[in-house]
Amino acid sequence: MNHRRRTTSRWLLPLAPLLAGIGLSLLLYSLADRNPTVYLSGQLSALAFALGVILALLLALGLLMADWAARRAATAVSQAAAQDRRRFLRRLDHELKNPLTAILAGLANVSAAEDEDARATAVHSVTTQVQRLRQLVADLRKLADLETRELEHAPVNLTDLLEDVFALAQAQPEAEHRTLSLSIPRAPWPLPTIAGDRDLLFLAVYNVLDNALKFTQTGDTIELRAAEDDSQVLIEVGDTGPGIEAADLDHVWDELYRGDGARGFPGSGLGLALVRAIVLRHGGQTAVRSRPGQGTLVSIRLPVRH
Amino acid sequence: MTLPNSLPQPHILLVDDETAITENLAPLLARAGFRVTTAGDGRAALELTQSQHPDLLVMDVLMPRLDGRAALRHLRQAGDWTPIILLTQVGEAVERAMALEEGADDYLNKPFDPHELVARIRAVLRRARPGQPPLVAAWKLVCGPLTVDRRARRAYLDETELTLTPKALALLEYLITHPDELVSRDRLLDAVWGWDYPAGTRAVDTRIAELRRALGDDPVAPQFIETVPGQGYRFVGQVEGDR
Repeated sequence: MNHRRRTTSRWLLPLAPLLAGIGLSLLLYSLADRNPTVYLSGQLSALAFALGVILALLLALGLLMADWAARRAATAVSQAAAQDRRRFLRRLDHELKNPLTAILAGLANVSAAEDEDARATAVHSVTTQVQRLRQLVADLRKLADLETRELEHAPVNLTDLLEDVFALAQAQPEAEHRTLSLSIPRAPWPLPTIAGDRDLLFLAVYNVLDNALKFTQTGDTIELRAAEDDSQVLIEVGDTGPGIEAADLDHVWDELYRGDGARGFPGSGLGLALVRAIVLRHGGQTAVRSRPGQGTLVSIRLPVRH
Repeated sequence: MTLPNSLPQPHILLVDDETAITENLAPLLARAGFRVTTAGDGRAALELTQSQHPDLLVMDVLMPRLDGRAALRHLRQAGDWTPIILLTQVGEAVERAMALEEGADDYLNKPFDPHELVARIRAVLRRARPGQPPLVAAWKLVCGPLTVDRRARRAYLDETELTLTPKALALLEYLITHPDELVSRDRLLDAVWGWDYPAGTRAVDTRIAELRRALGDDPVAPQFIETVPGQGYRFVGQVEGDR
């Protein structure tokens, strides 16, 4: 944003000599007796030479300015990348610290356990935390893989896929206490088939739906719906959950980002980052709208290629 | 499942530079009925293989001095076909092609369930034909009318090329190189997909159905892929490999 403002103000620079020229000309004009006529004469060859020098200087100046702008942009990009990296490492550190602390405590409990029940409880707690770390590592690898992985481009029947995702979500324990609905157009025609990797697309839609299950409460409503026009398919997951604060909304797709409202919930913090990566690899887009206290709407748009 | 008592304890050479891994896996393998020797890098592994002739190597890839891949190539070039399980990922097509060149008998992604390693070791030992290349190192696999050309990444049934998605072909490749072995859906996910997925086991079933359609295989009386209810799949044909 700042950078864009600086770029705009740079274009005000040429106005300065123009304004100075206008000012000086008005001044000289008002003092008519001090406004002598100046005649310049010279050989055509000298004029050509002078013109060449002026053009060369202007060009050199232009190139210098372009270079300077490019360098500034590159620095800004690398600074942003370094900042992203630092942020990612901080979040990773945080995601590792909690399960490790729990494991350390759990191990201490295992060795101090006085009876079989206490030992079993401690071992169970350690196993749960190990699973959590395992999921984090698996999701990190998925994210890294997605950058280079060869994508399958087979026809994917989206109606089938959405029904499968919905069935899996309905089988989750949280689904019992929420109203889940699925709406897929069938008239005048069903959703088009798109080219893509079915397993990855399944993962993307499921992650969004799973998030809705995770962040809503008993009595909330969750809708999975789809629509299409000739060029794209729109898949939406809407929920009547707590919603996301405006300050967090820009970051929900970031790796390991947890807004204040998302602390203490299970998950690797990579679910939506994976969704975004998968959708981008399919040439699509993701978006999120939310109103605190009302709910959240996550949308995935996938291109239909004819 | 335990090995018959009449057989001597199979000797496993466990190679990993991370002592946390060897220290914890060695007793576990010993409890599972194996005699275990450990090594910390590829060079030590080569020396121990020559002097002690283990029945199987379990080897990590990233190691100092000589990494697992180089050690494996070294052994294979010298004509040593001691079964080897490499602890690495072979999810992507490139890795798959590389794995084929290398001639390892099986792969397991870290982090893995230690019981899965025990199961892999037993399966590889059961499959191994002493001194001979394993099927997983074969370029071409033939089972009756079915031919899988792994170099060209094509499969033929009665010389007609099958139209398969890359995932289905990779699945067929895994099953045909592990004939007569009960493979769980989770194992297939790990070995062929390289990822865990929600409802991943259903993804496996969908691809198996695709394979069966292409192969014209009847699940009730299968010629190639048998369903073992509640457990997984088994490739039932007699397979010949050609390197």
